Amino acid sequence: MVEVFAVASGKGGTGKTTSTVALGMALSDRYDVTVVDADTGMANLLFHAGLSDAETTLHDVLADEAPVEAATYDRFGLTVVPCGTSLDGFRDADPDRLRDVVAALAEDTDIILLDSPPALDSRTAVLPIVLADRIVVVLQPTIPAISDGLKVQEYATTYDTDVAGLLFNKIRESESIEQVSEKTERYFDGPTLAAVPESERAREARRAGRPLLAHAPECEAATAYRAAAESLTVRDGAAADAADRFQSAVIPESL
Amino acid sequence: MKLPRGRLDKSRVVTDPRDTLADVLDRELTGYAVFESQETLLLDGEGRGVMTFSDGVPVLVYHTGTDRGGPPALADLAVPGPYHVSLYTLDAADLESAHEAADLRVSPGMPAERLGGDPALADSTRRAAPDERLSAMGDGDAEAPEDGTADQSAVEAFLDDAEKIEAIKQQARSEARERAQEWDF
Ligand SMILES: Nc1ncnc2c1ncn2[C@@H]1O[C@H](COP(=O)(O)OP(=O)(O)OP(=O)(O)O)[C@@H](O)[C@H]1O
Ligand SMILES: [Mg+2]
Repeated sequence: MVEVFAVASGKGGTGKTTSTVALGMALSDRYDVTVVDADTGMANLLFHAGLSDAETTLHDVLADEAPVEAATYDRFGLTVVPCGTSLDGFRDADPDRLRDVVAALAEDTDIILLDSPPALDSRTAVLPIVLADRIVVVLQPTIPAISDGLKVQEYATTYDTDVAGLLFNKIRESESIEQVSEKTERYFDGPTLAAVPESERAREARRAGRPLLAHAPECEAATAYRAAAESLTVRDGAAADAADRFQSAVIPESL
Repeated sequence: MKLPRGRLDKSRVVTDPRDTLADVLDRELTGYAVFESQETLLLDGEGRGVMTFSDGVPVLVYHTGTDRGGPPALADLAVPGPYHVSLYTLDAADLESAHEAADLRVSPGMPAERLGGDPALADSTRRAAPDERLSAMGDGDAEAPEDGTADQSAVEAFLDDAEKIEAIKQQARSEARERAQEWDF
């Protein structure tokens, strides 16, 4: 069985990468989880997962210079596929190979989380959403974040990708999020999975190059991510034809 | 809201209102900005948003299309870009009487936080605001405390506008369909 989630938000800096790694770790109690840095133009998942010195990355795989296995690393109970940060690496990468990468990874894991770029303005930026079965939308309680999150949802559903749920992130102590999340849910196809507080621990973890759930597993933000993972019901994708599914992941005919 | 016309300082198209707020703060502009949506598809594209500033810090917000002021006007202003923005400078004295309109007021950090979606810019705006702006907002006024609850009312006002949100969704869907062909998925 495998289900592929794209962790997405139209807006930058909402906490997609932080959330990808945190959700991944929280889900790894129950599932075999693979996280992929699909933000191939501005990769930084490697800095969140202690992989800044990774030799082989997704860039090499997308350039057809290495097999997927050479770019997978076991860290913090996850299988991590980091991406390189060089411009050359990005230039030489063929984004369409991401399809094959996902198909290959799908043979051997329960859940794939794709850390997605904060944009919808190019084929490369949208591809993770197209390949995913469902998206997790990362939001902050601001007008542009919610409005961009709505756009991501509409792109996703247009391309036949469903919405697994919403993650509100960087909630300040003084804010009560219930009202906003309740009103936001009216316009989204998925429930609020969790509201993650703004947390100094999250910033510390990023500076230390460690996932939040490894750095401060007992903090409020980590607890919220575990609650989000708890409330996510993972669907049974048909295992056998996983490769098929992703190789043929295309926009529905009705377009 | 009545304002003297002032002197046109700059006029240009921006994709993100955040950039205007950052620019105004940077230049400590006293005067006002007129935001005009370039998006004709959207209902609230009608009318203009007006925001006044003292030394770069937002004071009042008003929307001519909806005739609403304060946080709800910020929500009216929030349409997908681009915007045409004109900045006008005024003497502080010219703004005094307009600035008495308490019902149009927003807290200093609110536009950057909620419309711009940039907490760091909101923080620097608050730091630039005079102390009485940070505390005076608390005077039993519904839009009172800086940050938190008050700022959320702009987000909630945005979420209460079901028609506008439907328009944003529709626009995204048609964009997604067009691009699917362009990108040859
Ligand atoms: N709950 C939180 N509290 C405080 N800081 C946070 C929180 N979540 C994320 N951050 C910080 O916010 C910054 C952006 O986070 P992150 O890189 O995860 O966002 P992103 O959405 O992936 O960004 P991008 O759009 O650039 O890919 C980082 O410095 C991170 O440490
Ligand atoms: Mg990121």
